[in-house]
Amino acid sequence: MSVLSVRDLRARYSSNGPEILKGISFDVEEGDFFAIIGPSGAGKSTLIRCINRLVEPTAGTIHLRDVDVLKLGSSDLRKMRRHIGMIFQEFNLINRMSVMDNVLSGRLGYVGPIRSIFRTFQDKDIQRALELLERVGLQDHVDKRADQLSGGQRQRVGIARALMQEPNLLLLDEPTSALDPKISREVMDLIRSIATELKVPVLCNIHDVQLAKETCNKIIGLQDGNKMFDGLTPDLDQSSLEEIYAMEVL
Amino acid sequence: MQATETSLTLKDVINARHKKQRVQLCFYLFLFALVIWSVQATVIEDTDWERIGSVSEIVASVSHFFGLDIGLIPDLLAPTIETFMIACLGTLLGLVICIPAIWFGALNVTPFKPVTYPLARISMTLSRSIHEIVWALIFVSAVGLGAFAGILAIAARSLGFIAKMSAEAIENIDQKPVEAIRAMGGSNLQIMLYGILPQVLPVILGIVIFEWEINIRRSAILGLVGAGGLGLVFFRQMNTFNYPGVTTVILAIFGLILIGEVVSHYSRKALN
Repeated sequence: MSVLSVRDLRARYSSNGPEILKGISFDVEEGDFFAIIGPSGAGKSTLIRCINRLVEPTAGTIHLRDVDVLKLGSSDLRKMRRHIGMIFQEFNLINRMSVMDNVLSGRLGYVGPIRSIFRTFQDKDIQRALELLERVGLQDHVDKRADQLSGGQRQRVGIARALMQEPNLLLLDEPTSALDPKISREVMDLIRSIATELKVPVLCNIHDVQLAKETCNKIIGLQDGNKMFDGLTPDLDQSSLEEIYAMEVL
Repeated sequence: MQATETSLTLKDVINARHKKQRVQLCFYLFLFALVIWSVQATVIEDTDWERIGSVSEIVASVSHFFGLDIGLIPDLLAPTIETFMIACLGTLLGLVICIPAIWFGALNVTPFKPVTYPLARISMTLSRSIHEIVWALIFVSAVGLGAFAGILAIAARSLGFIAKMSAEAIENIDQKPVEAIRAMGGSNLQIMLYGILPQVLPVILGIVIFEWEINIRRSAILGLVGAGGLGLVFFRQMNTFNYPGVTTVILAIFGLILIGEVVSHYSRKALN
């Protein structure tokens, strides 16, 4: 049984705009670290945002552990989203808040309005936030403001925040594009080891084909909204890469 | 040669420059004529030249205002404090009534755009297009003479600026934290509290301090229409032709505004 099953997914941003996704289908299995590669503008970010409906698809189906994602009402959608961790290219942290508050904000989906106003989180949440910060190597930066950290450190806060949600799926939107090559590898290694440890499947947009091959066990290649490749990482050869990036070769 | 079809010759460039200069000259001539006409209509025709008298008489009239009325100073303390309090409480009340206006007036958070957005924008324009003296007149007739009318007038006049600038700050926020909180299942309230407010709070605070500084100026004259503070004393000195007293009150206003500017400058600096 697949964790995530996407069928004939189509998306466009306005009714007369161009179609960004032109019928994408794929399955993510338990334990998969799934990479989505492709040139800029291929629809990678749109695809990943359709999974948690930050972008509303125009057609197709998405099933997440037998839940029909596209049929959820707004309250059920929020309940589903709190189990999907998301890590962003630009980290998307709350800059003026402390590292601790940023990590704790990962629990917001579980916290009521009154507690949100006063930022009172349960002791066990604070305990877990501390453990996660230690796991990502930021135990010495708990009370710093998020905008005082370096890029790699900020992405680690982003990882801890996503894990705070106790996710059963991780969506990664170009998690390393804003980082230098060395830090990129460290961050990807960290995400992979945590995902393996917690047995969370991962769906990851990534620019860097080499890094994708090193980290991921399955790869989808997108080009202009069409799926050009879908298979195991070792099967991705030069000819399939040329097909995916055809537009850039021309 | 393909290039010559699109490239400009020297003559074209010179002609274009001359044409631009002619247009500019016409514009300046028009502006000059407008100024002459305004002076003619408002100053030359509209002034009662007979009453001004000679230059020495003008100097004599102005010199009435030289000198201070030292005896007045003890009586100025209470109105000065009152003016200051009107500015503080008025700004605070203005901020409170601003909150719905900011929420409704920012396009990206307004709850029901076709109704709430125009409502907020109209209230902002109304607040700013009515002068504080007119607001004070309205509130004096509503709640009677005294500082309370002044506080209400300052609050009503502050809404426009604070709400407009704050709503614009909300419209210009970085959407990335908002996206993150939406992605983790956050409600609209949580998006507001965690995604938007931390970004705009320092900006709004800066706007409020700036408005408070302006409000000290405003509250100093509200007494002219009976809404309390230094303006009332000023009005009394003027009516009794005590010109050194007028100068004393003006100095007190000046001192108060100076304090406001210094506090405003340093507190806004501390925000960044």
